[in-house]
Amino acid sequence: MNHHRTLISYLLFTALFSFLILVTTGCSKDENNGESSKADNTLYLFNWTYYTPESVIEAFEAEYGVNVVLDYFASNEDMFAKLKGGGSGYDVVFPSQDYAEIMIREKMVIPLDHAKLDNLRYISPLVREKATYDPDMAYAVPYYLGASGIAVMKDSLEEYPRDWSIFSDSRFRNRMSMLDDMREVMGAALAHLGYSVNSLNPDELEAATRLINEQWKPNIVKFDAEGFAKAFSSGEFSVVHGYGEAVFEEIEEERWDEVDFFLPGEGGPMYLDSMMIPVTAKHVDLAHLFINFIHRPEMYAQFLDRFRFPSTVHTEAEQYRTTEPIYSGDALAAYELKMDLGENLSLYDELWQTIRYDD
Amino acid sequence: MNSVSFDTRTRHGATFSNVVLILVILFLFLPLFVIITYSFSASKSMEFTTFSLKWYTQLFFDSDELWSAFLNSAVIALSSAAVATVIASGAAIGIMWYRFKGRQYIQILSFLPMVLPEVIIGISMLIFFSAVRLPLGLITIFIAHTTFNLPFVYLLVTARLDEFDISTVEAARDLGANEAQSLVKVVIPSILPGMLSGFLMAVTMSLEDFVITFFVSGPGSTTLPLYVYSMIRYGVSPVINALSFVLILSIMLIAFAMRRFLKTIAASS
Amino acid sequence: MKRSSRLGITYAGPMGLWLTIFFLTPLFIIILYSVLKKGLYGGVEWTFSSAAYRQLVNPAFAKVLFRTLTVSVTATAITMALALPCGYAMARSSHQSLFLGLVIVPFWTNSLIRIYAWIAILSSRGFANELLKQLHIIEESLSLIYNQGAVITVLVYMYIPFAILPLFTTIDSFDFQLLEAARDLGASRFTSITRVLLPNIRSGIITSGVFTFIPIFGAYTVPLLVGGKDSYMIGNIIVDQVTKTRNWPLASAISLIITLVSTVGVMWMLMAGAQEKRERAQSLRKAGTR
Repeated sequence: MNHHRTLISYLLFTALFSFLILVTTGCSKDENNGESSKADNTLYLFNWTYYTPESVIEAFEAEYGVNVVLDYFASNEDMFAKLKGGGSGYDVVFPSQDYAEIMIREKMVIPLDHAKLDNLRYISPLVREKATYDPDMAYAVPYYLGASGIAVMKDSLEEYPRDWSIFSDSRFRNRMSMLDDMREVMGAALAHLGYSVNSLNPDELEAATRLINEQWKPNIVKFDAEGFAKAFSSGEFSVVHGYGEAVFEEIEEERWDEVDFFLPGEGGPMYLDSMMIPVTAKHVDLAHLFINFIHRPEMYAQFLDRFRFPSTVHTEAEQYRTTEPIYSGDALAAYELKMDLGENLSLYDELWQTIRYDD
Repeated sequence: MNSVSFDTRTRHGATFSNVVLILVILFLFLPLFVIITYSFSASKSMEFTTFSLKWYTQLFFDSDELWSAFLNSAVIALSSAAVATVIASGAAIGIMWYRFKGRQYIQILSFLPMVLPEVIIGISMLIFFSAVRLPLGLITIFIAHTTFNLPFVYLLVTARLDEFDISTVEAARDLGANEAQSLVKVVIPSILPGMLSGFLMAVTMSLEDFVITFFVSGPGSTTLPLYVYSMIRYGVSPVINALSFVLILSIMLIAFAMRRFLKTIAASS
Repeated sequence: MKRSSRLGITYAGPMGLWLTIFFLTPLFIIILYSVLKKGLYGGVEWTFSSAAYRQLVNPAFAKVLFRTLTVSVTATAITMALALPCGYAMARSSHQSLFLGLVIVPFWTNSLIRIYAWIAILSSRGFANELLKQLHIIEESLSLIYNQGAVITVLVYMYIPFAILPLFTTIDSFDFQLLEAARDLGASRFTSITRVLLPNIRSGIITSGVFTFIPIFGAYTVPLLVGGKDSYMIGNIIVDQVTKTRNWPLASAISLIITLVSTVGVMWMLMAGAQEKRERAQSLRKAGTR
């Protein structure tokens, strides 16, 4: 009996104790939101993981005497579903081009005050041209322009095509993966066939689907957007379609020579992540300060160094960087931004189902 | 009851099941050994290269965000599991032993949150919270976790009560015990294994949940699963492996300390 | 047996209230969403539409549904087959809390990490293959991962504690003297277990089956990470409809169908359980009076 009673008191104690912690932390958080002095000092970012180097955040906090709180999302879709459902309180979000366009159209973001953003002069005019949905940066300030590519473990074969047709190469059968991403895979197939990655032509889409189902899918092990880098690093996969930073993040620098990462020459889909301020933001001034701060050339160079990215959106940062990029940004000239498909999304979705749902 | 018959139980016939139990526990611990091994490896990837403590150094000296996410998770898990255990055990007793208006309604409602897909619960709760203007944060995560924990605890306690002999309660009442006394002295002790399993299960579910939490969390209330899942695109850092080992080690230490503590209490009384 | 209704409400009221506010209201939102027109960018437009239910009639869904059912039934069966002896051994052990801890504690590590660990174990240069090679059972690495076998293995792993817990708690309250009495009356060990033990722990078996089958049926991460190109399950479709295709009404409709089917299933099991228990109690009482 005694034994039981102690257990009960443990249980009750835990309940009471943790509830107290919850209430106190919860309340103090609410106070933060209500109390103006403290609240004005905290900037809430909703970002991809690791996408802003800690050194930059710390420098920003130190310079302006503020506090930065980061929350993360793993895909544009998750982030969008959350904001659409009513999620609020974030001051700066980092969507890619298609969702940037949607959020502008859905009036989910506020127009930016350019008087507070003098570093926008460093944004490459070429990138602004590509961002057809907002070339004047009225709502969205470009953060990074990049694309998925192909990583090949060099020791696996001496000769291989350095373009999308590598996925038709049966010598790599069952040692390859492609991203589990409708637009990336369809876009790659469309680009390989010489069509636009945003094609709405049913014949072109049909041809792309056939290419994937008949030529590529038999050779790949799986569609993988999460584990491909780990599997590539451990030698399970020899050829992966994915993001360079993810691949190199998993592999120690000493082994980087063993990896050939390239952007296929025939082009493909690319993305442009931007910084935007949601209408529900509470710290608009601070958000402007932050966006401007990121594009200080020294700061932006730290971002490039962290991921070994090529400098694709910033005209000045290149000279401050201390590392070599993992891939060349030149290839991006042949690439095309994935744009929002609107109603035509279902066109792609139906075809993608035949790729993804069937055995 | 069975606690009395503990020593008189016959052991034969338990051999096969003992073997299965040991094998299953090995099966459950296998990935854990892998995680622990990799936490001491210099490599970032899931392979062992050379011995290194760098992930532990990083964990203890350079992982503020990780620790605050962990703290959030621990607070939510313990509080939601405890509250769910209390509420659901009460409901199990009420529904098993009493007949009242709305009994069937609660009974049906009690397991529904278990059935609905997580992403749907997440989205619908998000819409609900923003409609009633409850600011997203630890409180909303707590509410969501308590909600999805309730059915598990309820069913576990019900399964236990199902085999419970009501006559012991009646005997206690015949001896003059009032409702509260018979609850504390007879009912709770006998359903305690169910409550404890339910509590443990609720803690587990809460520590695990990513999908629902993603939708109902607010700025600054990142939990451990949110933190880990968000790394999915860039590769999950081995610091998490190190944290897992530290966590398991501390749970084992706490359990061990509590065992000693329990024994001393039992001996002194 | 059933006593004052005031006390019943006191006991069960808090949960009824909690679930009504925090679960039923959101559920109504979902029901409503399933009959509205899908918003172009997620969410809904406030016009009636039965499009979502019409889209449900789709051979591609049927295929995925069938696959999900096969995987869930197999994984649940294996899980239960392993969990039963485990629950039995734990209930009969004198170190109950130790085993309870051993079963639960591995699960306090993030599931994503544990799934990655499984990928490392099952991969071609992983632990499982190396072990088999060391034992000279195989020469070439087997492909153990990125197929349905891997999905089922990891699903069993993920949900086996959920199956063990209810079994343990019910077996623990089982009166083992009944088993001995059956043996004394000449029943074999096997018959005494199937005829005496199993019927008496029926509610535990049902609970454990429900705890295992339902989460496996809605599994999302496991098929995504350890499955191959043919491992897509219902859970993946629902998430994709909410996020990627932004078709909230369709996701709501699929979820409602699942909820409806499982509700009917669970209610049927609960009622069958209650019925059987009543019959058993009656026959016992009869036996007692004789």
